[in-house]
Amino acid sequence: MPLTAINLASAPLPSQYLTFVLGEEQFAVGILHVKEIIEYAAMATVPMMPDCVRGVINLRGAVVPVLDLSARFGRGVARVGKRTSIIIAEVAAEADDEQRGGKQVLGMMVDAVNAVVEIEPADIEQAPSFGTRIRPDFIAGIGKCNGRFVILLALERVLSTGEVVALARSMAEQEREHEHAHEHHPWPA
Amino acid sequence: MNLDDALQTFITESRELLEDMENALLNIDLAGDQSEAINAIFRAAHTIKGSAGLFSLDHIVAFTHVVESLLDAVRDGRLVLNDEMITLLLSCCDYLTGMTDGLAAGRYDADPDTAADGEMLLQQLRRHMGMESEAPDAHAGALAVQPEPDVERMGGDAGDSDYWHISLRFGAGVLQNGMDPIAFLRYLARLGRIAGMATVADALPPAADMDAELCYLGFEIAFDSNADREAILGVFEFVQDDCDIRLVAPRSKVSEYVELIRALPENPARLGEMLVLCGSVTAAELAAALAQQSQSETSATPDHSADIPPRLGSILVAAGQVAPVVVEAALNKQKQVVEQKAQENRSIRVDSDKLDKLIDLVGELIIAGARASVIGQRLHSTELQEATSTLSGLVEEVRDAALELRMVKIGATFNRFQRVVHDVARELGKDIGLAVDGEDAELDKTVVEKIGDPLMHLVRNAMDHGIEPADVRIAAGKPARGMIKLNAFHESGSIVIQVSDDGGGLRKEKILAKAIERGLVDADRKLTDAEIYNLIFEAGFSTAEKITNLSGRGVGMDVVKRNITALRGSVDVGSSEGQGTTVTVRLPLTLAIIDGFLVQVGDSVFVIPLDTIEECIEFAAEPGQDYSNLRGQVLPFIRLRSLFHIGGAPTRRESIVVLRFGKVRAGLVVDTLLGEFQTVIKPLSPIFSEVRCISGSTILGTGDVALILDVGALLQAVDGKGAALPALAA
Repeated sequence: MPLTAINLASAPLPSQYLTFVLGEEQFAVGILHVKEIIEYAAMATVPMMPDCVRGVINLRGAVVPVLDLSARFGRGVARVGKRTSIIIAEVAAEADDEQRGGKQVLGMMVDAVNAVVEIEPADIEQAPSFGTRIRPDFIAGIGKCNGRFVILLALERVLSTGEVVALARSMAEQEREHEHAHEHHPWPA
Repeated sequence: MNLDDALQTFITESRELLEDMENALLNIDLAGDQSEAINAIFRAAHTIKGSAGLFSLDHIVAFTHVVESLLDAVRDGRLVLNDEMITLLLSCCDYLTGMTDGLAAGRYDADPDTAADGEMLLQQLRRHMGMESEAPDAHAGALAVQPEPDVERMGGDAGDSDYWHISLRFGAGVLQNGMDPIAFLRYLARLGRIAGMATVADALPPAADMDAELCYLGFEIAFDSNADREAILGVFEFVQDDCDIRLVAPRSKVSEYVELIRALPENPARLGEMLVLCGSVTAAELAAALAQQSQSETSATPDHSADIPPRLGSILVAAGQVAPVVVEAALNKQKQVVEQKAQENRSIRVDSDKLDKLIDLVGELIIAGARASVIGQRLHSTELQEATSTLSGLVEEVRDAALELRMVKIGATFNRFQRVVHDVARELGKDIGLAVDGEDAELDKTVVEKIGDPLMHLVRNAMDHGIEPADVRIAAGKPARGMIKLNAFHESGSIVIQVSDDGGGLRKEKILAKAIERGLVDADRKLTDAEIYNLIFEAGFSTAEKITNLSGRGVGMDVVKRNITALRGSVDVGSSEGQGTTVTVRLPLTLAIIDGFLVQVGDSVFVIPLDTIEECIEFAAEPGQDYSNLRGQVLPFIRLRSLFHIGGAPTRRESIVVLRFGKVRAGLVVDTLLGEFQTVIKPLSPIFSEVRCISGSTILGTGDVALILDVGALLQAVDGKGAALPALAA
């Protein structure tokens, strides 16, 4: 049926969202991105990575990187609490990454997971150009849910591999400059 | 060496390449920038041509060469790609796929049924290149062992008995007497047109009994010509004594053909089929002959009817009802099915994702089993403990078996090159040998599949450009026989494959000049030797002046680089002028077991590849310095804790792991040594691509993740900080 096809294609956003808490604020991600939610457990930290990369976990045999959303939003490293969870999300891989068959799986560490809610496209507004505390390009829209606003995240941007890699690279460069500035010789030449 | 295996690989690769080519063609008009797609298509064609040449599949080579030439023109901007050309190229793709399928079914030469299509495509290709009026370029001409158009099997002409029919049976000694049967057929074609031809190979003994110097073949030929009997027989004048020739004039009665069938030594059934096949008689005519036969039989002498006719008759009944050509096609089809079945039984192609999933699941199973056994211990249940220990034993076996599925020795890939080197050397007129080392190095199947192509290019490049002609070699005081060496070994979680030659080496000035000419580098930039050498991997770079069938289109080396980077590997070239060139390909083992050594720093567990470890010693440092006294030698060390910014205080009894990588020796200070551990490497997410010192990760028995240290990168990282690590010799 062409009509359905058009409707599907033009539907701007999925209508079901998973809401979660980060600090004081509520956020939501499209349910189709979410693979599963797991309890927070200790993970292996990967050295020389920016703060927002918390480490890697063993997800049934697959090694999955976990991002600290709080750090990603520039609010400092999240403290682990009772309700801290990891949302395992699947996003389309970036163009230069052909290895993963177009998909990549990442974990997002959040303070607490709330519920799956339905938000009609009519109840979703565009993000204001200022006034939000997180980067505007991370926001897909602002939804209304039970009389409260909830920020719908643009996961492709939030979980952008390229950006994290760039962060790590600039970190490494800074370190190198730092080393050069102090030019100490741990070993005799 | 099993050539069959190599051929299978070629078929698989060609299919993949053709798929790529098709996709690129289909997407080309959508993309704004065409050059990438055109390059991809060109490379696919180039690779197929190259590989086909190695198997002497001349029909594929000849066809692909023309396709490639057209693409070359497009790539150079001499032609602009339009819709019509894309359609044409897609048809070429289909035609190549057809040839590949034919190959898979055991057909090593051109399929006469589709040869006409191929010829048509070639004409169109040449038209686009503006070569219509010219003869196909000399190169293609030399290669074109295309089915000569006048030897095509013309189905439409079948049954028109306006042809001479020639039955040729060459004597066994023809070849020994210096005669080439094919030459006579070619000469025959000058008198007229060979309308149809069927080869009679019935006299061919089993391969073991066959004498390669004897001729076992005969031919049934339908010949369209105005020449008279004398002239036709004259063609075979030189072999008259050695050969059995029968001629049936045009418009002869069918009974004459039946006579002919009877007179020949072969099984009449086969002959009947062949006559129909080559178009001298139609099935209907044969059926008529049958009727005639059975009529005459009634009045024939008893011994005559007891002899051949009944057999012939029964065959011709079949022929009369079902056209023999159809029967033959059906039989061929059946044979193909059987052959394909046999191949399928030998090996199954499984999606590697499925294997990955299997291995992941088995890993989980091990952890789940370990938990069960912990519970068994806690409950003091002997029965449960026994059950879990049996279980974990079995699970480990399953894991090993699952891992084995993916690991293959590189030897098979290397051996493929014996033939490559042999053939290419002959083609180049050089004397080149191949030495192979490290065949037992195991690596992931997917890596093996993808490394074949780049290696092929490297080997051929080394042979074509690297090894000098014999006279130059002798003048330089080297043995006349050039050597190509393939070597493979594991090095800290990577596999290293080296292709070296003892040829003339790379000429820096020439490379640099070419690179500047091509605009790849600025003329005033200062480059190190290594940088100059690595220019040969740039797209469109080729120093060979003439385009040969082997290389020189400037495609080989950038394919190599691209394929290897796609595998997250690296390629490096080292050379010394006059001594030779070594190309080193370093690939990660995407999934391989390596023996690792577990160490702990703070809460983090790291795996160090065991083959990079020399020994472990107790921590001791010279006062105020970061080096230690190792039996009178200076051993600089790296504090892993500070390098990786791991918090917490070091334990009281730290240890130093003494690492050796290449010529460098260094210590690594860690908190605790945990012991040896066989690990399965899990590639890390691309998000960690900037972390140079970690080559992968692994899952420990506890279910925790441990990171695998890349010792080479680690040493390089500290080396870059201005403190030189002393070489071993120092």
